[in-house]
Amino acid sequence: MSTALAHPAHRPGRVVSAQMVAMAVVIAVVAIFVLYPIFYLLQAALDVGAPNVRPPTAYGLDNFSALSKYWEIMLNTLVVTFAATIMALVFGFLTAWILTRTNVPFQRTLEQLMAVPYYVTPLLGALAWNFLGAPESGFINQLWRGMGGHGALIDITSAMGIAWVMALFEGSVAFVMIGAVMKSMDPALEEASQLVGAGRWRTMLRVTLPLVAPGVLGAAIFVFAEMLGSFSAALVLGTPARFYVITTAIYQFVSQYPPRLPLAAAMGVSLFAVMFLMLYLYRRVTANRSFVTISGKAFRPRTMDMGWLRWVLFAICALYVFLSVVLPVATLVYASVQKLAVAFPKADNFTLDNYRTALSLNAVRSALSNSLVLGVLTATIGVALTGLLAWMIQRSRLPGRGVLEYIVMFPQAVPRLVFAFGMMWAWVVLPLPIYGTFWILLIAYLAVFLPLGVRTISGVIMQLDKSLDECGQVCGASWGFRLRTITAPLLRPGLLAAWLLIFVASVRELGASILLMGPDSKVMTPAIAEAFFSTSSELTAAMALIQTFVVGAAMVLFMLITRRAAGVRA
Amino acid sequence: MFDFKGTKPTTRRAALQAGLAVAAMPLTSLLPRHAAAQTRPVTKVLDFTTTADVAKAEQEGEFLFYTHDGEPAAAGICEAFAKDFPKIKGKYLRAQNGALFTKVLAERSAGRFTVDVIQFSEPATAIDFQKRGGYQRHVSPQSEFYAPEHLSNPVGDNFCVGVTFAGICYNTDKVKAEDAPKNWKDILNPQWLNATSVKQSTSGLQFVQWYELRKLYGEGFWKDFAKLRPRGFDSRAQLFDRLAKGDDKVCALAELAGYLLQKEKGAHIAFVTPPDGLPAGTLWNGVVDKAPHPEAARLFVDWLMSPRGQAHYQNNPFLYYGSVRKDAPPMPGGTRLRDFKLLTPGAAEMGTYMASQEAFNKEWNGMLGL
Repeated sequence: MSTALAHPAHRPGRVVSAQMVAMAVVIAVVAIFVLYPIFYLLQAALDVGAPNVRPPTAYGLDNFSALSKYWEIMLNTLVVTFAATIMALVFGFLTAWILTRTNVPFQRTLEQLMAVPYYVTPLLGALAWNFLGAPESGFINQLWRGMGGHGALIDITSAMGIAWVMALFEGSVAFVMIGAVMKSMDPALEEASQLVGAGRWRTMLRVTLPLVAPGVLGAAIFVFAEMLGSFSAALVLGTPARFYVITTAIYQFVSQYPPRLPLAAAMGVSLFAVMFLMLYLYRRVTANRSFVTISGKAFRPRTMDMGWLRWVLFAICALYVFLSVVLPVATLVYASVQKLAVAFPKADNFTLDNYRTALSLNAVRSALSNSLVLGVLTATIGVALTGLLAWMIQRSRLPGRGVLEYIVMFPQAVPRLVFAFGMMWAWVVLPLPIYGTFWILLIAYLAVFLPLGVRTISGVIMQLDKSLDECGQVCGASWGFRLRTITAPLLRPGLLAAWLLIFVASVRELGASILLMGPDSKVMTPAIAEAFFSTSSELTAAMALIQTFVVGAAMVLFMLITRRAAGVRA
Repeated sequence: MFDFKGTKPTTRRAALQAGLAVAAMPLTSLLPRHAAAQTRPVTKVLDFTTTADVAKAEQEGEFLFYTHDGEPAAAGICEAFAKDFPKIKGKYLRAQNGALFTKVLAERSAGRFTVDVIQFSEPATAIDFQKRGGYQRHVSPQSEFYAPEHLSNPVGDNFCVGVTFAGICYNTDKVKAEDAPKNWKDILNPQWLNATSVKQSTSGLQFVQWYELRKLYGEGFWKDFAKLRPRGFDSRAQLFDRLAKGDDKVCALAELAGYLLQKEKGAHIAFVTPPDGLPAGTLWNGVVDKAPHPEAARLFVDWLMSPRGQAHYQNNPFLYYGSVRKDAPPMPGGTRLRDFKLLTPGAAEMGTYMASQEAFNKEWNGMLGL
């Protein structure tokens, strides 16, 4: 505050203009990145003219009325999405609470391991669990039969199996988002609850849970949307069981000849309705309620002493890490060193050829570095952009800021494969050297990860007492200065979580990249998906493990740098 | 060698010669005219002839290839070409046939011309692209080594770069040889309920199989097959992966190329050559209109048509496509395309074949639960 006081007295006109300029820029970026491609998607969804002719020669609602024929696919999608979201939130909330609010042993190590499932591409998780739980060839089922059992012990290709795999890997997103909110919470409220005689569980349910409600709801919306647009698990696990969801159906429609893009676009656009209903409910729940837990009063994060129960909580976290990290990675390692992955291989079945092939692919080597550079750029620009957006939505008095929140959610509401078509049509017509280059991927990533950043940062902003910013304003600090010295430092855990989430989400992105990659801007996850389609699951396993290892190393490096920077500042 | 079961190879030439000759008549009459229209000088480079200006192609220095083939396959093609022409860098982009078609049309309608050579996985897409003026006419001197039905009409827009064909395959741990299907009708046996696999409607070869077997056995054939609740997959790699691991007992669209690759790994599977014939899908490749690197594109296409390119398509394990070149050497395993009775829509019935695409997509998607 003293620094703010040392600044020259602010001029209201200048303050307003800086704020307005920033807002105008952000709104313009959102309009170009989101609304512009959405316009093309809507155009495609309404296209009833000659096939594959652009612009459309006739418009109508036939594509939407044709959707009723696919009610079973819609139902499958909703069943899997709801089941997976509930499971992921239970995983995420429970583990976030354990690791931020209790004195669980090995808290720091577990916290780092908890984020690992999110580092890996969902394709890796789906592939690993397919190796484990396929009814006939799954290692677990082979072991089961080897021990005298009959049939299949587990069937990972069922609707609940697919939801399980999706939840296991999205649970860590919920963990990171909810955990960031919990870390910013003043423990005095929980302590007060315990002082008046409430037990630990009662405190968790009656105090902690309501206080982190915006974070949990934000995570719920994000996870729900992720599940709605999830592709890999449904593709790898659902297709063998003739179980289709919207994304896998869309994939088939756009891949076949003649491509049925208008129907795919209508299918994708119809998801807006589901998504906006969720967002509306979220706004209703959070409106006119205070979730402030960060005020001017200083607090030091403290944890509850759980006594012997802390070992039970440790076991819960360890089990999650085992099922989502250790077991899948070990399975893929085991599969990737075999010619034909089986539970009980003969000695001559072992090989390192899959790694040799993977490392010899030039495209893979350049794709890895492209993915990392794109990840860093998307995360860095994305945090600044989504931070400002979240602030505008939650804190500004900008007219129509509620609409802005809905607009930001557009890319989340529609499967990325479909959004990518909108991006392609939007940018291919512009006479700028962007289409087919690295830059269109950056724009696409920034657009599709807007909701992730906004949801993560919004949850934390809502916990921030407005009086802190107002205090700075009273002291004469400009808007930008307050943002830099008051809001941003207080939001640091949320911003870091958002950076991390966006970085990883970019590196593992698949749906948008498949269509928008150029010959010189290939990225890694489509190459892995490609290997799954055109080579073998063993080579795919090797490639997915290489990607996970590189992303893991990048994350360790990033953490070391941020820790060192924090040390220097201290 | 393959462990083909229950059938002896039938000569394709004998079965199709008459029909093809009739069907190809209008094309053969066109060939000399277009060959005559070829005014570009023919030069010999390495051991093949080309009408491309090699010096200019090297000056262009690169070309962009759009293909439906997988990443390792596309990379392999460009690398093989680069070995012969190190001054020309081949870049590639791959996508599923439908997505590739949409992408290239979107680019062209926006006035962006970045692609030089394009390859589609089935003839209907190539003909559609041709009708939209997508190809640049390039009558390769290599055309004389191809039968008219393997060249576009008119000649020079595209050519058949390879053939993939499919029989039946089964897992030998799960199915005894005496119980295995011997001919196509045997795949309708109720014992294959929830145990058989095919490709999705995205596959050109699947379309050919649907079309040809419907011609042979009537429309009821696929209706009976649908009762077995078959599973559909995108690629032969997935089909054989599952078959080798016992997830499926029988694969009803088993490409020989996929079988060879999986057999090399020691998979317990066997290939059956149905005596009624093997559905064969053709892949079509050509120089794109307004290609930004036209000489490099022509050289690449001439190389693909030459024995060098065709050898690569036949022998690369990610491709294993049979060559329709008249002087093509045997495929891996020692057989030639003509050793098989291939079922493929002839030039005369191409209109009927293309018109039935909609019906195929509808029936096939419905059958696979989509």
